[in-house]
Amino acid sequence: MVCRALPKSAEVAVVGERMTSDVAGLDPLLDEAPCGFVSFLDDGHVRVANRTLLDMLGYSREELLDKHIESVLAVGSRIFYQTHFFPLLRLHGRANEIFLLLRGKSGEDVAVLANAIRRERRGEWVTDAVLMRVIERRKFEDALLEARRVAEEATAAANVQRGETENANALLERQATELADTHWKLVIQALELDKQRTIAEDANRAKSEFLAMMSHELRTPLNAIGGYVQLMEMGVHGPVTAAQTEALGRVTRSQQHLLRLINDLLNLARIEAGRVDYDLQSISLNDIVLATLPMIEPQIAAKGLRYDVEVPLTLKAAADREKLEQILLNLLSNATKFTENGGSLRIEATVAPESEDFVELKVADTGVGIPADRLEHVFEPFVQVESSHASRVEGTGLGLSISRDMACGMGGDLTAESTLGVGSTFTIRLRRG
Amino acid sequence: MVSPVLSRNNVKVFGRGTQPMLFAHGFGCDQNMWRFVTPAFENDYRIVLFDYVGSGKSELASYDPERYATLDGYTEDILDVCRALDLREVIFVGHSVSGMIGLLAANRAPELFERLILIGPSPRYINDAPDYVGGFERADIEGLLETMEKNYIGWANFLAPAIMKNPDRPELTAELEASFCSTDPVIARRFAEATFFADNRADLAAVQVPSLIMQCSEDIIAPSEVGDYLSRELPGSTLQTLRATGHCPHMSHPEETIAVMREYLQAPVDGVQSAAQIG
Repeated sequence: MVCRALPKSAEVAVVGERMTSDVAGLDPLLDEAPCGFVSFLDDGHVRVANRTLLDMLGYSREELLDKHIESVLAVGSRIFYQTHFFPLLRLHGRANEIFLLLRGKSGEDVAVLANAIRRERRGEWVTDAVLMRVIERRKFEDALLEARRVAEEATAAANVQRGETENANALLERQATELADTHWKLVIQALELDKQRTIAEDANRAKSEFLAMMSHELRTPLNAIGGYVQLMEMGVHGPVTAAQTEALGRVTRSQQHLLRLINDLLNLARIEAGRVDYDLQSISLNDIVLATLPMIEPQIAAKGLRYDVEVPLTLKAAADREKLEQILLNLLSNATKFTENGGSLRIEATVAPESEDFVELKVADTGVGIPADRLEHVFEPFVQVESSHASRVEGTGLGLSISRDMACGMGGDLTAESTLGVGSTFTIRLRRG
Repeated sequence: MVSPVLSRNNVKVFGRGTQPMLFAHGFGCDQNMWRFVTPAFENDYRIVLFDYVGSGKSELASYDPERYATLDGYTEDILDVCRALDLREVIFVGHSVSGMIGLLAANRAPELFERLILIGPSPRYINDAPDYVGGFERADIEGLLETMEKNYIGWANFLAPAIMKNPDRPELTAELEASFCSTDPVIARRFAEATFFADNRADLAAVQVPSLIMQCSEDIIAPSEVGDYLSRELPGSTLQTLRATGHCPHMSHPEETIAVMREYLQAPVDGVQSAAQIG
């Protein structure tokens, strides 16, 4: 054991009257040990304090003695002392490595770790505690705790994110379910629409079949009317007066008008019912024009229209003669109808400019023209072009619709170009024959 | 069938009397804190000890952070124990925060309690200027939380939970049992917050069960102003100031504590009540 000389004064040992009797002379080793030392009673009153602790706190020995141990603790540590430290000492007689903040005389805090033992000494229960300053370690702990806090915050943030992800997932799942629902609704709607379409198609077919049948049924008595009128005109049933001839002429015109209407209807109905057969042959376009023009010439002449024809003799198309004649007649009839007196018509046939395999037969007029936004609609059934220049014209409005259907049926097409007030050009396009 | 509450709250029952004395420990401790006073009452009463869930040897698995976020959850623990044992005419002894928990329990089920003994109670620890002195500012409580944090999770105890789960090192487990009464830092912090941030002043007026306020001298946690306030505001209360100093007279000065409790228990309930009312 190292012996040390006592300090010059006996002050060290004399820390109070009780002190002397308590720790008969505080050993200089203890007084200047590299850690604080304090003894206090159960009621908290300080009995002994070494120099190191006094220096730590800035108190003189006289100031510290008989102070309450709590008075040298920071407030948080006071509560901790009462709720943890003291019960631990009381219940277990010792407490080790307790972190405390001491409160120095000038109010600064000193972090220490305390080891304490409670024992009976000369009839009194005292607690002896050594207090070791923790500076570097406290920094280390602060860093650890900070790291833990950061980790906890990160975990919390991750949890929040996970929660958000889960919410998003739930939302997506909900949306997926809704989409699936919508999908099935759409499938059901599609099926329903398909069913309705089938019903509509059936109804349309029934209508077409009815029209075809009725047209046929109507044509028979009309033909009979025509036939008997003709017989009467010929005087088969006796002499005919001038007035009767006039009347029979009116009957004939009416009968023929009705017959045209019914033929249109019949053709449409047949096309819609898919019952039209095309007998395609190599046909001279010139022949077609020559066969058709005479039928319309009276009307052309009546309106004082000029016309010219330019159809090469050798040009042939793959067509059904009867249907092509019908289309051409329809186009010529329209051109005549919609062209003002003094206008002109032109019939022209050429090889299609973009393909040697096709020929084009055009009917051009100098008529009222068709507005651009109506141009395609003229091919729809029951449509007639309204024009301020033309009075309402008679007809079913089926002519162009039927004509295009027939042109398509022959592997070709029927198209139109027009400039309002300048005229229209309809082009029948057909495979070369 | 034994109620699960008995193991959940580590309930202990002993003594030769019939009337129950239910001892409720304070924040930072467990039922062991009563061992210096219970022997004095064993002959005349049925002693019931328990640990709040999260403290002592209670079942930590039953800890529900929501339930124990406020003193209400701890109040439920008291009532659960009373009902599990079918306690009647209970003499409730509560230390520190358990004083308030006992008052809340008595307000919930006044029929269960005969009287309340409150050691160092406080309805609010934080000052509420200008009229109320609780003894602390919010920053002081933050200081406590920091000190707790350092001690529960500082380097000294950093690995404790992991060690505790290690069956190969029973000596460490034993060491830990000799440590703080709650070893879970999160639970301890939550209990501290529920305790020190509580304000139960509004609950005082409804109390019907007579009570004894045991006010220590020089108690920094429940200063004398708090005892005076309680004595004024708590119906049917009797204020008794002890010579004992500090916050744990039942540990630091058990003889005086026992004597004061005995004296109070010897007075008839009606007498206690009317005396308090007159006072």
